[in-house]
Amino acid sequence: MSFRPKEGMPPGALPMLILRVLQSGTLHGYAIAQRIHVLSSEVLAVEEGLLYPTLQKMLLKGWVTADWGTSETNRKVRFYKLTPQGRAQLKAELAGYDRITQAIQDILRTA
Amino acid sequence: MGELWRRISYLFNRRRLDAELESDMEFHREMAASAGRNNFGNTLRIREQSQEAWGWTWLDRLLQDLHYGARILVRSPGFTTLAVLVLGIGIGVNVAAFSFFNMVALKPLPVRNAASIVRLERRSLDSYSSEMAYPSFAFYRDHARTLSAAMAVLGVPPMQIDDDLQPFTASFVTPNFFTELGTRAAYGRLFTSSLDGSPSSPPSVVLSYELWQHRFSGDPSIIGSTIRISKRPATVIGILPYDFASLGGHGPEIWFPMAQQPYFIQGSKVLTDWKDSSSRMWGRLAPGVTAKMAEQELRTLTHELRKQHPEAVWDENEYLQVSFGGHLQIMQPKMYEVAAMVAVLTLLILAVSCANLGGLMLARAVAREREIGIRIAIGAGRARILRQLFTESLMLASLGSAAGLGMGYAVMRVLLSFPNTPRWLSAIPDWRVMLFTILITVLAAAFFGLAPALQIARQRQHKTIVRQILVGAQVAASCVLLIVAALLVRATQHVIYNDPGFGYEQLISVDPQLGRHGYSPEAARAYLQQMQTRLRAVPGITSVSMVKLPPLGHTVSNSNVQINGRDVTLYPNWVEPGFFATMGIPLKTGRTFIPGEKHVVIVSESFARQQWPHENPLGKQIGEGDVKDTVIGVGGDAHINALNDDDAAEQYWPAQPDDLPGMVVIARASGEPGSLSPAVKSISESLDPKALPEIRQIKQLYRENVSRLEMIATAVSAIGIVAVVMAGIGLIGLVAFTVSQRTKEIAIRIALGARPVAVLSAVLRQYSWPVIIGLLLGTTAAAFGSRLLRVGLYGVSNLDPIGYAAALIILAAIVTIAALLPARRALRLDIARTLHYD
Repeated sequence: MSFRPKEGMPPGALPMLILRVLQSGTLHGYAIAQRIHVLSSEVLAVEEGLLYPTLQKMLLKGWVTADWGTSETNRKVRFYKLTPQGRAQLKAELAGYDRITQAIQDILRTA
Repeated sequence: MGELWRRISYLFNRRRLDAELESDMEFHREMAASAGRNNFGNTLRIREQSQEAWGWTWLDRLLQDLHYGARILVRSPGFTTLAVLVLGIGIGVNVAAFSFFNMVALKPLPVRNAASIVRLERRSLDSYSSEMAYPSFAFYRDHARTLSAAMAVLGVPPMQIDDDLQPFTASFVTPNFFTELGTRAAYGRLFTSSLDGSPSSPPSVVLSYELWQHRFSGDPSIIGSTIRISKRPATVIGILPYDFASLGGHGPEIWFPMAQQPYFIQGSKVLTDWKDSSSRMWGRLAPGVTAKMAEQELRTLTHELRKQHPEAVWDENEYLQVSFGGHLQIMQPKMYEVAAMVAVLTLLILAVSCANLGGLMLARAVAREREIGIRIAIGAGRARILRQLFTESLMLASLGSAAGLGMGYAVMRVLLSFPNTPRWLSAIPDWRVMLFTILITVLAAAFFGLAPALQIARQRQHKTIVRQILVGAQVAASCVLLIVAALLVRATQHVIYNDPGFGYEQLISVDPQLGRHGYSPEAARAYLQQMQTRLRAVPGITSVSMVKLPPLGHTVSNSNVQINGRDVTLYPNWVEPGFFATMGIPLKTGRTFIPGEKHVVIVSESFARQQWPHENPLGKQIGEGDVKDTVIGVGGDAHINALNDDDAAEQYWPAQPDDLPGMVVIARASGEPGSLSPAVKSISESLDPKALPEIRQIKQLYRENVSRLEMIATAVSAIGIVAVVMAGIGLIGLVAFTVSQRTKEIAIRIALGARPVAVLSAVLRQYSWPVIIGLLLGTTAAAFGSRLLRVGLYGVSNLDPIGYAAALIILAAIVTIAALLPARRALRLDIARTLHYD
């Protein structure tokens, strides 16, 4: 996977972000992308080419499930929902992320 | 686990899930468009990437490849049929051979805990016996702790039921025999230790299902009734099941409990005689005991036995060999050698068919050049093309192996239709045969498909080297097969047209088995003398004598020695003076025995020649120890108990009084010996009704021996011819292909005035070297490999020049025809048209 500075999405961060935005409720694919874009103050853009394969992987891992729902435009669409496993995974990823950022900041501060 | 489950459930719901994903993305695109963004990526590609997350891409590709491969195969039915046929033969021969091996040596008997059943046989450095004395058996049974049970089987000559003319085969078994095997009676009951273990139990018999069906018309009321067996009344207590599985493939028609042996065979001391080796011993290993451990314990028991009963043990090297007994056949090391040899031959056939098909595939590859080129041009990787081609090969191989399985099944059906085949055997392939077929299929696909696939994927199908190797391999392999076939044919001819050294045509042997009936030497002398005198009086009998080990008899005794650096198998025998005349064995020099003579010996011609080359053998001495035996005569070579052993040499000693209870009467008739049986029977009846002699026609035994060889030779020849014809067809294809490839070049050559010979040689040159190298390799391999065959060659050298010449000439002729047939087309080209074309 090539790292594209334009969108500024660090590799491997997407699953964590998806898990995080789903924590507050079920969302459909487009809403997930939108939410991440908005919450990052429009710094991070989620590419569709990355979003859907990642969602499939998360379905496979059992972190999320997909159920039919109706969108705000009154269209039938799948909503993704966090599972208990997904919650546990989010916790683990956040802890890991904190440790890494802490370490990076330590270096940046002292070096 | 959950992940695997989700993966699998995705596979079953993928159509729906994929549609859902598509709808998700469609929605996404709509929303993005309404928000003013129109840069949604390639939907198809994203969908593919999303699907990849589930890890089923390989299955999709495989299905694609299978689909494509099937289309290709269906589109060229001629090629597909030919390929399946060629492979079917190659795989079928292997499957048939393996099925047979599986039946004989791998499939466990359908008896209780077959894996723990062992066969116990006496072995020493230079002696071997599959049978032991019954008291020895009892000794081992009572003392061995590594065996949880021991069974003995005592075979006896065929016995008479009531007043029937036709005798039936019979055996005595220890009463635990059927209970150990877990056999259940079809009717009545089988032997048990409590009811049939004692000599005082009422005499009882168990009948085989076939005997019951044919002799007693399957009447269940026979149970409990009394029949007479060899004149002794006995109660029928049970019928064996239809599909009874016995040990060692041994299945007589009448079964008796061992303890009643003296009742049925009167005067017999078999159960107490330490020297009468006639019982076969089987055992069941105690739980957790290995064959090695049992062998260790039994070895110490043999030492103990030797102290107590020195006469029961040959020497200090004797031990009981423990071999696995839960198969149809107890495999001896020699049999594994034969199996390995057959495996090599059948794999050679597979090699020929694979090389053949490889050539065909390569030729086709050129025709498919365009198709492959296009696929590569539109972005197919080499790996993908390779996988596609290999999938095609695997499909062909699978079709071929289906044909092969069918062929293997047919062969087994034929084999199982022979009389006396145990009924529990089945021709239907079991999992071992299936596994073997799968393995051989993959092996075949790799062999015929990989090389061409590699060449094609690398777009090098015009290279000749692979084609040359394939031609060479085919020629070499079919060369080996043809030579082996030719040697076997020669051996059969040798046996059929060569004098075996004794006049077998009009001989009968009469074996009264006096020893088994407890005859003393004196009693035996009286019986045998009477028998001989009265036989001589029978019209049509010209000569009568006696021998201890009759021709083609049940018992064979031999020892391996080295004479002047050559391996020789010595066959000793003990004979009466008239033996040579009756047998029709000429005395080359010297004389026969004088009655009562001792310490003299008559040797066979080849023994004398090897032992004392260029010397007069008469008066020489042989033997070890103080008392030597003097050679008084030299007889012609007559391998009466080793028809197939060219290294056999005979030594004859005068029979001594102690040998008499074991002597067999032989008689020569002037006419058809078969008509003598009733006369012999009535004589023996009047001499001693207890002793029912076994009368055998040597001619019949001899023919059985030869026909077995003929069958093998025919089968191998057929296979060899098939291999050569396959190689020929392959070569025709390849040469035709070469001609079609080089049409233009040939036309130019002819136009410029090349002679036909030059044109032909230009076309064929690339194949002549592979053929010559293949012939050389094949001949060398056959020369070395056929040494293993020696025993089966019945006196024909494994380097027999006529056999080799015949094989090579046939092969060369077929190869030449196969090459010239299509090459001639090169000469008949329409030059003008060829050169005007394109």
